[in-house]
Amino acid sequence: MYGAIAMSDQTKLTRRGFVKGAGVAASAAALLEGATKERPPARFGPGAVSISLNVNGEERRLQVEPRATLVSVLRDQLHLTGTKIGCDRGACGACTVMVGDTPVASCMTFALDAVGKPVMTIEGLARGDQLAPIQAAFVAHDALQCGFCTPGMVMSCHALLLKNASPSEEDVRRAVSGNTCRCGTYPKVFEAALTAARTPPSRAGVAQGELPPPGAPSKADAWGNRSPVEGGTAETDAGKAQDKGEGTNERSFVVGLPGALAPKERKVPPGEPQPWDGSARLRVVGQPTPRIDGPEKVTGRARYSFDVQLPGMLYAAVARSPHAHARIKSVDVSAAQTMPGVAATYVVERVLGPAKLKLKSAARGKYPLVRYEGQPVAAVAAQTQAQAEDAARAIRIDIEVLPHVADIDDARKPGAPLVFPGPVEQAGTAGGGGAAKDVPQEGNVRGPVVAERGGDIERAFAESPVRLEQEYRTEVQTHSAIETHGVVADWRHDGVTLYASTQGIHSVQDEIATLFKLPKSKVRVISEFTGGGFGAKFGAGNYGAIALHLSKKAKRPVRLFLDRRAEHLAVGNRPSSIQQIRIGAAKDGELLALQLTAHGSAGCAAGAGCAGPVKNLYPARVMRSEENDVFLHTGPAAAFRAPGHPQGAFGLEQAIDELAEKLGIDPLALRDRNDQHPARREERRVGAQKFRWAEARARKSSGTLKRGVGFAQGLWYNFDRSPSSAEVLIHDDGSIECRSGVADIGGGIRTACAQVVAEVLGVSPNEVDVRIGDTALPQGPPSGGSQTTQMLTPAVRLAAERAKREALGLDATSDVRAAARKLGRAVRGYASRARDYDGWQDDDKFTATIGGGQFVEVEVDTETGIVRVVRAVAVHDCGRPVNRLAIESQINGGIIQGVSYALHERRTIDLQTGKMVNADLEHYRIAGARDVPKIEAVILEHFRGRTNTDVSGIGEPATVPTCAAIANAVAHAIGARVRSLPLTPARVLAALKGVPA
Amino acid sequence: MKAFTWVEPEDLQSAIAAGAQRGALFKAGGVDVGDRLKEHIDEPATLVNLRRLQGLDFVDVDGGALRLGPLVTLATIADDARIRKAAPALADAAAAAATPQIRNVATLGGNIAQRPRCWYFRKEDFHCRRKGGTTCFAIDGQNEMHAVFDNDLCAIVHPSGTATALTALGASLLLRGPGGERTVAIDDFFVRPERDVMRENVLQPGELIVEVRVPIRQAAYVKLMEKQSFDWPLAEAAVAPGAEPRVVLGAAAPVPWRAPKAEALIKGRKIDEQLAVQAAKAAIEGARPLQRNEYKIALLQTAVKRALLAAGGVA
Repeated sequence: MYGAIAMSDQTKLTRRGFVKGAGVAASAAALLEGATKERPPARFGPGAVSISLNVNGEERRLQVEPRATLVSVLRDQLHLTGTKIGCDRGACGACTVMVGDTPVASCMTFALDAVGKPVMTIEGLARGDQLAPIQAAFVAHDALQCGFCTPGMVMSCHALLLKNASPSEEDVRRAVSGNTCRCGTYPKVFEAALTAARTPPSRAGVAQGELPPPGAPSKADAWGNRSPVEGGTAETDAGKAQDKGEGTNERSFVVGLPGALAPKERKVPPGEPQPWDGSARLRVVGQPTPRIDGPEKVTGRARYSFDVQLPGMLYAAVARSPHAHARIKSVDVSAAQTMPGVAATYVVERVLGPAKLKLKSAARGKYPLVRYEGQPVAAVAAQTQAQAEDAARAIRIDIEVLPHVADIDDARKPGAPLVFPGPVEQAGTAGGGGAAKDVPQEGNVRGPVVAERGGDIERAFAESPVRLEQEYRTEVQTHSAIETHGVVADWRHDGVTLYASTQGIHSVQDEIATLFKLPKSKVRVISEFTGGGFGAKFGAGNYGAIALHLSKKAKRPVRLFLDRRAEHLAVGNRPSSIQQIRIGAAKDGELLALQLTAHGSAGCAAGAGCAGPVKNLYPARVMRSEENDVFLHTGPAAAFRAPGHPQGAFGLEQAIDELAEKLGIDPLALRDRNDQHPARREERRVGAQKFRWAEARARKSSGTLKRGVGFAQGLWYNFDRSPSSAEVLIHDDGSIECRSGVADIGGGIRTACAQVVAEVLGVSPNEVDVRIGDTALPQGPPSGGSQTTQMLTPAVRLAAERAKREALGLDATSDVRAAARKLGRAVRGYASRARDYDGWQDDDKFTATIGGGQFVEVEVDTETGIVRVVRAVAVHDCGRPVNRLAIESQINGGIIQGVSYALHERRTIDLQTGKMVNADLEHYRIAGARDVPKIEAVILEHFRGRTNTDVSGIGEPATVPTCAAIANAVAHAIGARVRSLPLTPARVLAALKGVPA
Repeated sequence: MKAFTWVEPEDLQSAIAAGAQRGALFKAGGVDVGDRLKEHIDEPATLVNLRRLQGLDFVDVDGGALRLGPLVTLATIADDARIRKAAPALADAAAAAATPQIRNVATLGGNIAQRPRCWYFRKEDFHCRRKGGTTCFAIDGQNEMHAVFDNDLCAIVHPSGTATALTALGASLLLRGPGGERTVAIDDFFVRPERDVMRENVLQPGELIVEVRVPIRQAAYVKLMEKQSFDWPLAEAAVAPGAEPRVVLGAAAPVPWRAPKAEALIKGRKIDEQLAVQAAKAAIEGARPLQRNEYKIALLQTAVKRALLAAGGVA
C-alpha cells in the first residue's frame, strides 16, 4: 500500500466560519434583507477579506481579495513557493495541489473556494526529513530534470497512488496527463510512480541521505560499459604515470570507440592530470547517480529565481504593444502612478533582442519603434502582483499602427512592409544564434550566407546520373520553458543583485554592467535553480533591465516574471525554414552534389540559418549552401536547442531517404555508403540491431492503422570556447565543497561536479556540497551549447586533484578528510580549465563533432491523419558519460521535444493583425504524458582524449534527428511524404490524397 | 483580473436573485469563468458562487433516466459506476475533457454553459461579433479549429464534449430563474448565431441549470484529438441508434450539430460497417469548410462512423 494518509474532505463551510470580522459584508447583507424575502447572500470584497485556510494541517489566517487565486496566496502570502505557476490557465499542472483528496490546478482555484477544505502542497508531503515514497522514487529514478514541473508532477502521482495502489503505466500516464514537463522527463516519472506503488509501508519515508548508492541498477544500456580495451593494451604506461608528471607535455592515452580503442600521443598542458581515457576504470564517474539536488526539487525546497522573495519586494507588470508594427506617439503613466500600491513606473527607452540597424535611423523618435506584438513599452512596480497588473492596464499608450508583415512568403514579395529600413546585424549569445556579418540585404531578405566546397555545383549536378530536388518547410517553435523568463532585481548603492532565471549568470552580469554602466564588480547575479531554458535564457533581457530600472527608482527589490503570453511573444523562438534541397548522386548512392537554398525567419532578428547538417553531415563531393534571413514583424528568435539543426535535419535527412527510395537502397545502407564518421557508423549498426530495423522495415501493415519505421541522424559540435573555473575546498572538519558559477537548467551539473570530486577524493557524491549559480563564485561556463559538463568537469577535476595534493602532501595513501582535519585548516584547489589539447585542431576531424542516430516507429491513422510515435531507439555518443541517469533523461527529453516539434508545435499568427492566437499552453500544443513513445536510450562511449575528463555534451544532439526520423517513418507507413512540419492530421490526410498542403 | 465582489449564497433562491442583478456572473467550478476573468473577456461587478450550494451534486438513476445535479464534477461523471453504466457515452465525453486537475473541479452545468474556446474570442484584443463587434476574425483568419457548419456569422465550435453526448442522448435540462422553472429539451437549449450571435444558450440573467435528465439508451461518443494528453477535439461525434436515432457532430458548428440525413438512414436499423460508412457520409453533407479546416470533414466522418460502430456493437 502506498504509505500516506488520505485526508478527508469537507470541513463544512459555515457562514460564520467564512466571515471573520467582515463588518462590511454584514451591513451589505442587512441592506439586501429589506429588498428580498430570501436570506441575502453574504458579500465579500472587492477589497481584501479575512479568511482562514487549512494548509498542510495548519490553520492560517489571511487577508485576501476575492479575486486572489489559491496559488497566489500560497506563494505570495504563505511563502509556500514549492507550488509553481507555469501557464496560469490550468493547462500545465505546475500549480497542482491537493484540495481534500483531489489534485486541482491552484491557478484556476479561487482562494475563497479553498476555505474549509484541507489544502496540501508539496511542502506538506514529506515528513520532516523523510521523503514520501513517491518523492524518494522520483529522486532514485531521476524523474526530474530542471525540476520546475516536479512538485506538480509529484502531487499528481501522489493523488493517483491514494486512489489506486497498483496502477498500470497507462494509469500513470493518465494521471499526469495534465502536467507538462518541457524537459521531457515522463518515462522516468512513469518508472518512479510504479516503483512508489510497490514500496511497502515499512519503507514509507526514505531518509533523504539514504538514496540508492551510485551504481544502483538503471535501464542504461551497458553498451558503453564493455571492457574498455578488448584485447588491447589495458593499462598503458602513460595511464600508470597518471599523477607523476606536471612538467611533461607528451602523453599517450587511449582513444576511440569501444572495441576499437588505440593509444594516441597528444600534447597535454603542463600541470594537467593524465586524462581519464579509454583505459581508465572509474568508481563514480560513469555510474548512474541520483541527483544530489533531487531531494530539494521533489520537496519544493529548491529555490528557483521565480521563488525568490526579498523583504519589501515589489511586483512588476509590463504594458506591451498589442500591435506588430507601430509607432508610439506618447506614453502616459500618470494614472498608473496614482493607483493603489504603485511605487514606480518606467518607460522603455531601448529594446534588446531585435537585429540592430548598422546606421541608426536619423528620424529616431522618442520611443523605440514597435517591431513585434508583445514588445515592452512601459512597466510598473507595486506592492502586489494584482496591483501591478491593474496599474499596467492604466498606462495610456498613444500608438500609430503601421502596416505589418507576418508571413514569410508575403515578406519576400516586392512592396511588402519593411521590418528594417536598412542593413542590420545580429550578435549571438553564449547559447549560439546570431548571424554572419556583412551580408547583403534587400527588402526583408538578408542573405545569402554562402558556404561552398569542392567546386562548381551546377556542373556537379549536370554530371550526376541521379538527381533529386525537393522543398521542406518548418514552422516557428517557442521554447516554452515552464519557468518563464524573469528576475528579482535589487538595486543598492553598494551594488546590484539580480536573481535571474538564466542559463548564463555571467551573460546577465555582462549585459547589466554594460546597460547601466556599472563595473562588473558591482553586479552580482544569482541563479540557484533554473526552470528550463533550452537556449533562450541568456543575457539580462528587456525584463532584467526593466526590473532594475524599477528597483533603482523605487529603492526596493522588484520581481518581474513574464506571463505565458509574453513568454511566447517576446523572449525567443526557433526560426522557421523553407529549404530547397538538390542532390546529385551516382547510381551506387555516392553523393556527388548537395545544395541547400534556405530562407527562414527569426522574426525581427537575424539568425535563421539551418545549413549545419548539409555542410557537415555527408561529405558530398561538391556542396553549396545558401542561407537567407527573412524579417517579419514577429518576436525575435533566440538560440533553441541545437540552433538550425532540427530544421536542417528535417530537410536533409528526408532528402537522403527520398534518394534511397529513388535508388532502391536501404536508407541505412545509403548513409553507410556516404558517412564515414566512426561514431555514427557504430550508432547506426547498434541501433539497427536493437530496433530490429530490417525486420520492422519489411513488416507490412494492413487496415486503416499503418505502422512505419524511420531513421535519421544528426550532429552537433564539440565546443571548447568558454572560460570555466572551479574550486574545491576541503574544510578543516573534513567536509568537502565544490564551487563554480555555473547555472543548472536541468542537465544535472551539480551532480556531475560532485561525481568528479568524489572520484578524485575517494568519497561519495552525496558527501560533496556543490555551490553553483552565483557570480561571486569562480566563473563557470554558460549552460548552453551542450558544453556545460564538458567544459566544467576538467576544471573541477584539476581543482580536486590540487586540493588533494595540498591536503595529502607526499602521503598519497591517506584519507583527504582526515588529512585536512590533521592540518587544522581548510585546503583549497583552484583551477581554470586548461586549454584543450589542441582541441579543434586535433588531426582526427571526427572528434570535432558529436551526434547520434534515432530510430522511430509510428502508427498513422489513415482515416484521421493522426500520428502516434510508438517507440524510439536512440544511440548517442557523448564522450565519456558522467552520469548515465542524467544522460538517459536528456536523451528522453530530446526525443520527446522532437516528437512535440514533429507533430504539434507551431506558433499561429493571425496574418491580418499580426497577433499570435495561440500564445498559451492550450492551443500551443506540447506533447504530454500520453504522447510519449517507449524510448530506449543507448549511450555510446567515444573517447577522444580532448580533456582530462574527456566528456562531451548530449543536450542538443538528442533532439536534432527526431523530427526527421518521424517524418521518414510516416512516409514509410503511408507511402506518401509530408514535407512540412508539424505533421498535422490535415497535412497527413492531404499527403494521403496526393495533394500538397 | 479586475477586482469584484464575491457573493456567497446559501440557497438556490438567493443565488438566482443575486445572479439576476446587473453585472453579476455565476461561477461554479470556476475554470471557464476564471479564464475569462483573467483574459478580461468578462469583468463582472459580482461573482455569484454556486459551488457551495447544497444538494446540487446529486446522481440519481431511476427508471429509464439518469438525473444529474449541475454541480456534479466531470471527474465524477467519468468515474462514477452508476453513470458509466447508465450513460457510458456521457462518461466517455467527461473523461476525455480537459485534464485530471480540471475535471476534479469543473462541473457539468459549467461545462454545458461554458463559453467558446475560439482563440479570437478568448483574446481581449479581438472585438469580435460574439463580443458585440462587427467581424468574425476566424472566417478569414486562422480557422483550422473552427466550424465547418453554420459558420457564416461566427465560426466558433461549441466547446462542450458533454453537450455533444447529451444531445445524442436526447437529454433535457431543468432550468430555474427569477421567473420560475422550465424544462428545455437540449436541442432547444443551444442558440445558433443567426438567432443571437452573442450567446450560446437560452439561459436568461439569473437562470441556472438545476438538473440534467438523461434518458438511458444505447449511445457512443468519439473524440479525435491531435495529441492525446489534454487537447480540444478536432472532431467529435456522439450517436444513439434506434427508433429515434440521433447523430450529433461536435467541434463542427457553433452548437452541437445534428445530422438529420444520417439519422434517417440509421433509423430502426442494425448498424453494420456498410451502414456506418453510408451514414457517416450523410452526416457531413452540407458542410462548408473555411480556408484551413477542410481536413475536419474527413475527421468528422470518421468520428461518426466509429461512434456508430461502437454504439451498434460492431467495433
